[in-house]
Parts: sequence; C-alpha cells; structure tokens
Amino acid sequence: MLLPIVGLFVSLLHAQVPDKPVTFDDIKASPNADWLTYAGDYKGTRHSPLSRINAQNARNLVPKWTYHMDTSRKLEVSPIVYGGLMYVTNSNEIHALDARTGRRVWSYRDDRSEISRVNRGAAILGDRVFFVTGDCYLIALHRKTGAVLWTKKYAETKRGYFATLAPLVVKDRVLVGVGGGDTGNRGFLAAYSASTGEQLWQIYTIPGRGEPGSETWSEKLIDWGGADTWLSGTYDPELNLVYWTTGNPWPDFYGGDRRGDNLFACSVIAVNPDTGKMKWYFQFTPHDTHDWDAQGWPVLIDTTINGVMRKALLHANRNGFFYVVDRATGEFLRATPFVDKLDWATGVNAKGRPIEVPGKDPTPTGNKACPGVRGASNWMSPSYNPQTGLFYVVTLEQCDIYVSSAKEPEPMKNFAGGGGELIPTQPGKFYLRALDPKTGKRVWDYPMTGPGTMWAGTVSTAGGVVFFGDDDGHLVAVDAKDGRHLWHYNAGQAMFASPITYEVAGKQYVTIASQTDIVTFGLFEPAASVPVLPGLKKLQ
Amino acid sequence: MRLTWLLALSLSVCAQNPLNDPENPVAGDVAAIETGRKTFVNSCAACHGANGEGGRGPALKEGRVIRRSSDFQMFTTIRKGVAGTDMPGSNLPDDQLWQLVAFVRSLASPAAETPVSGDSVKGERVYAANGCSACHMISGRGGSLGPDLSNAGGMRSYDYLRESVVKPAERVSQGYAKVVVKMRDGRSLEGTARNYSNYDLQLQSRDGKLYLLNSSDIADATVSVQTYMPLDYGKKIARDDLINLLAFLSKQSARPVELKKNSDLQRRGR
Repeated sequence: MLLPIVGLFVSLLHAQVPDKPVTFDDIKASPNADWLTYAGDYKGTRHSPLSRINAQNARNLVPKWTYHMDTSRKLEVSPIVYGGLMYVTNSNEIHALDARTGRRVWSYRDDRSEISRVNRGAAILGDRVFFVTGDCYLIALHRKTGAVLWTKKYAETKRGYFATLAPLVVKDRVLVGVGGGDTGNRGFLAAYSASTGEQLWQIYTIPGRGEPGSETWSEKLIDWGGADTWLSGTYDPELNLVYWTTGNPWPDFYGGDRRGDNLFACSVIAVNPDTGKMKWYFQFTPHDTHDWDAQGWPVLIDTTINGVMRKALLHANRNGFFYVVDRATGEFLRATPFVDKLDWATGVNAKGRPIEVPGKDPTPTGNKACPGVRGASNWMSPSYNPQTGLFYVVTLEQCDIYVSSAKEPEPMKNFAGGGGELIPTQPGKFYLRALDPKTGKRVWDYPMTGPGTMWAGTVSTAGGVVFFGDDDGHLVAVDAKDGRHLWHYNAGQAMFASPITYEVAGKQYVTIASQTDIVTFGLFEPAASVPVLPGLKKLQ
Repeated sequence: MRLTWLLALSLSVCAQNPLNDPENPVAGDVAAIETGRKTFVNSCAACHGANGEGGRGPALKEGRVIRRSSDFQMFTTIRKGVAGTDMPGSNLPDDQLWQLVAFVRSLASPAAETPVSGDSVKGERVYAANGCSACHMISGRGGSLGPDLSNAGGMRSYDYLRESVVKPAERVSQGYAKVVVKMRDGRSLEGTARNYSNYDLQLQSRDGKLYLLNSSDIADATVSVQTYMPLDYGKKIARDDLINLLAFLSKQSARPVELKKNSDLQRRGR
C-alpha cells in the first residue's frame, strides 16, 4: 500500500505553493517552469526551455482560462509565475492567480494613488513581490497572502514623475525607474533594499551641471530634459552590469532649446548594481527630435560578430537600426536598418553615430520622416532563440509628419514641443521580423494586416515556436525557423503586452494580456467529468 | 511614446480632479452631509441600499469609482444619470445635489483620511492585549489567517472597520471564509478559502501554507459562512478601548496619512 500513499502525498505537494522563497540564483536560472522576471530571463532573451508545446503540436492549443480585470482599459502587463501562482498588475493594483485555473488567490489595490497609468508587471524575491503605483510608490507584498510588507515613495509627482514599469530585482535589491519625460522631468534609476525598502543608490540619466556630459545640453533644460527609465532593464550576472535604456530628451520634437547630443537620452547605460556607478553608455540617437526613445529591450547574447566571439548587446531601436554593442565595454560593433521606411539617416558611422540626412527635423508646418513617431519597434518585447540563432522583433513600417513648436517649454504643462501625425493615406504596417544577429540581416517576415495599433511582443520557446500578438487581436504561433503559421486565436481585443510561457504540474501554458483580460492557453485535453467540489456545503 | 502617453493622460485626467471643475461648496459640512443623507434615503436608497451598501445599483460605501471621481464628476453623474444602466438623471436643485455628493463622499472616505477620536497608542495596546496579531498582519508582523491590516485605514472606511470588529459575522471579507477539507488521500486541511468554485479551491492553512486544489483531489469540503474572527469582541472590548482600537486601525495606511480638507467636520467615533 506504500506506493499509492506516496503518489497521493506527491500530488498534495504539487498542489502546495512552495514554501521555499525565491532566491537570486532562482532568478538567474529562470525561465524554466517558472517565469520570474519581466523578460523571463535576466538577459532579456525571453526564450523558454519548455518544449511540451512545440512546432508539431501547437495546432492543438486551446484556451484554458480567462481572468477578466474589470478595472482595466489597457493591460500592458507581462505576468510573472512562481510555484503555480501568477502575478499580474494593472494600474495601482496587483493580483495573484492560481496559474492552472486563473482563479484569484489575493489582490491588492491602492485607490489613493494620485496617478492612474498602465502597469507592466511585478518582480519577486524571497517571499516578496514588488510592483509600483502610478505615483511612484514601490510596494512589497507577501507572495502568498498579499500582505503589505513595506511601501516606499521613490519619486515626486510634483517633479513630473510617474511610474509604469515592472521593477527589476538584482541580488538583494529592487531597481526602479520613472516615466514622465514627455512633459519634462529628470530621469533616474534607483535601487532599494528588497527587505526594508531603504534606498541604496540613485543615479540620474542627465548629468548634473558641470558633470561630464552636461556640455551636451543647453543650460536652460538640463534639469528637465527627460531621458526617463520607464521600462525595465536586463542584467549580466557575470559582468555584474545592468543595462537600461533611456527615453527621449524633452521637449520631444523641438531641439532648439537643448542644443547638443543630450546625454544620456536615447541611450543604453551599463550600471553596476552594487554601486550605481555607470560603467559605459552608448547613445543611439544623439539630439533626438522624433521621440525615438531607446526604451526597448537590450538583449544579451554571446555570438560571433565579424569573426570574433563577443558578449553582445542587441537592440532594435525606434530609429530603425538594429544595433550590436559589446556589452562589456560599450564598443559599437554594428548597426543595420531593420525597416525599409528609414529616411532620416543613410547609415551609421564606425563609432555608431548616425549619418543624418539634412532636413529631416520636425518643422512648424510639418515634415515627413521615417520611421514614424512610434518607432520601427517600441517597448514590446523581442526574443532570441539560441537554437535558430534568430532575433524576433515586432516592427512597424511607417512614416509620420513631424511638427515642431518653439513655444517656451514649461515643464509639466503637457508640452512636448510638437508631435508626430499619421499620414492618412499611408497607415503603418506591422511585421514579426526574424533577424540574424551575426549578420544583421533579415531572415523572414510575417506580415500583419490590422490597423497598426498595438504594443504586443513575443516569446520564444525550445519547442521551436514564437508566440506573438498581432494588431488584429490574435495571439499567433509561428515556426521559429521560418515564420510558418502554426496556430492563432482571436482574443477579440487589441493587445498591448508580451506573452509568457510557464509550466505547472507537468503542463505548459502560454499567457498574454489582451486589453482587459489575462488569457491562458494549453494543449487540448478531452474533458474529464470531475466531481463538483465533493460534499461542498455552506454552513448557515 | 507620445501618442500613448497623450491618450493615457487624457484618460487619467478624466479619472482625477480636473483643474477647472467647480468644487463642492458643502464638502465635509456635517449639516449638509446629514441633509444629503435624507435625500439619499428618499431618492437613492432603493437601488444603492440605505447605507450605500449596494443592491440593484452598485455599492457606494467602498470603491474606487467613488474615490477616484471628483465631486463635480459625481455631481454630473447624478444629474445626468448613467447611460445604458438603470441609473436615471435627477432634477433636484443644485444645492441638494451637492449635499448628496457630500454624503456619498463621506460614505467612502478611508478611515485614514477621516480624523477619529481615540488614542491610537492606547489602541495598539488593545490590539496586542486581544491577540489580534495572531491572525492579522501589520507591516509583515503577525499571522495570516485574517486579512492584512497594514492598509486597513487606507482602504476601509471607519464604519467598515468598526463593523468588522463588532459584527464580524456581517463583514466576512472576501477570501477569508473558514474551510475544512478532507482530501481523498485521507489528509485533512483547514484554513481560509481564499477562493473556490465547483472545480477548485485555493486554501490557505493556519500556518500560512497555500494549497491550489482541484475538486478531484477532495473527498469532502465544508466552507463556512463564518470566519475565524471571534464574534464577541463587540461585548468583550470596553467602549473606550474599542474607540482606541479603531483609532489604531484607522491609522494603518500604506501611504502617509493626509487628512482631507474640511474633514475635521466629519469627526467619527463619538
């Protein structure tokens, strides 16, 4: 009789959310069955080793559950999963769900936040999960109960800050950044103790007056120039460097009051997470006037570039170039256009500086330039599959009319110095594009047909599948090798989030946030008649 | 990001306090709130409940919609009604509508933003003496059989907190019903049903462990309408101690307490 008892004991163990707290090593090993950080892994490849769902059986995917968030207008969350619990966020709220069934276990909402924004997700370490409110409170909650363990206000809304990002846990600390740079503030990155909420360091992404780099700004706007940090970063544990991309300089579309390259806007910065010291930076778009934030994922892979093995950082920038940078040193290695609609620069010089075409700046009457204001790609997550050696990125082929305004810039008055306008006869077109980081060349394209409005990203799996959201509201699975369609599902709503994949009790799932719902898929299994909760009775 | 931000900004501005909207001339005024209460009973209670607890219409006592609306937005909603619902517009004079707004606002104010009587330091002693922390957590300290109280004053109204202490049977927080389960393998589990359906049960045991169970694993389950919260605190705790305890609970807030303008007129706990 021993065997059945052991079997049942194991089943109950499976049913228990692990007591074991999440360690830094666990996050380094993610993703596996769990998905412990926004991008799944520290290196931002968003590639899962799971293969129960694969290119052969993806056609058997079916919806498993939907979790509706009635407070949501536009979910941008990428969930995290640990031990059978999934954590999803919305504006000023976080929910813990049974990842097999989508049933809520606990939720926490902060109704008193001054700002209601989208939110992109949570982080986890120990027994704590972390998320930020719109008005820049970092909140730590108990992963099993939702009890509030500590809260910390880390930026002032009256200085033009808000927050939308998923925090990044590194070692014993939680890294956070800010948004608001489109109306003027001074971007920063900061680290807080995961156990106490105490601030450990803070660095600004715009140098202080007199500091190196401050000469790239006019005196007038150096305190309000933006360069925000509203998306999470990636991390290389061996080099002990965090890579964080920065936002546009402010005012977005008028550069006359901020002459110079405007460091460290539109850049990637490499920061030691122990000290907050910046080791190097690389600026993609000096003196940006098209709102081409560099906010997009720095993906860290080791690969051969020009015959030499490199610790590379890949980045598909909004400005239309696909960059490869040495992530140990910041040395520029290569940049290749990854969209056809690119007319503001003819290329990139040996140092990585764009060779600009004169006359592409915004003007008071409007000036056409490509890519459009939403960029050749944006913050939606790309992925990288080491088996195919391909980088998968959602790209947008679009040009816009860029208008500038030389009005006196007033911080926090909703002034961006102009704007980008759609050309009605030339709507944008999205593609899922596979690029080869070794060469920078495109390998295949998967065109989309929708209205060109979405922020849906990708996830890649060892099953040889790439999942992504298209701009018609479908979750789509394609073959990682050649982009061949495998499966799709109409979620009925536009998607503004990136999918993830995870496993509970031997079953693999794929989840994406559609506009108001968290939707999860798995392989078809014939329904078994189950007893309703046996003997369930409510005592009166 | 410009387009997205502009859209988000316009939505968030709608949801918050627009700059140029008129303010409620009687915000926080005790007499106006009382008059508003009478109007509410006559005009609104049939759908929203006599105390705003909800019914055919949504609850107004707790809730993000009320808290996040400006007084003027609430005024406009009452004046015009809500399209596509049973909520009609109102032709009451403006001054009565503002009184109504003041009353509804008073229903939903978090305790932390409402000055209360009582001594929170003494209240903390009452909290300790009654063993509350065996089941409730504040800032990471205490048990998890009952709801976390770290933000009790920040998210609950004073009346809600009071009723939760003195009439817990009428205030079972969602996710804290008592559950006893016999598993098919013969083992038993007991704790709170954080959630359940016919097909699954998310059970937190007394020791804080969390079980995600399928109905097929379960031989028998009893979900009680009661919680673990003792029912006799209303009698056991002396009146002054109760007021002090509520002062302590009202102070528990996940963000610094900011007393609302004029809200000293809304003094509670007397």
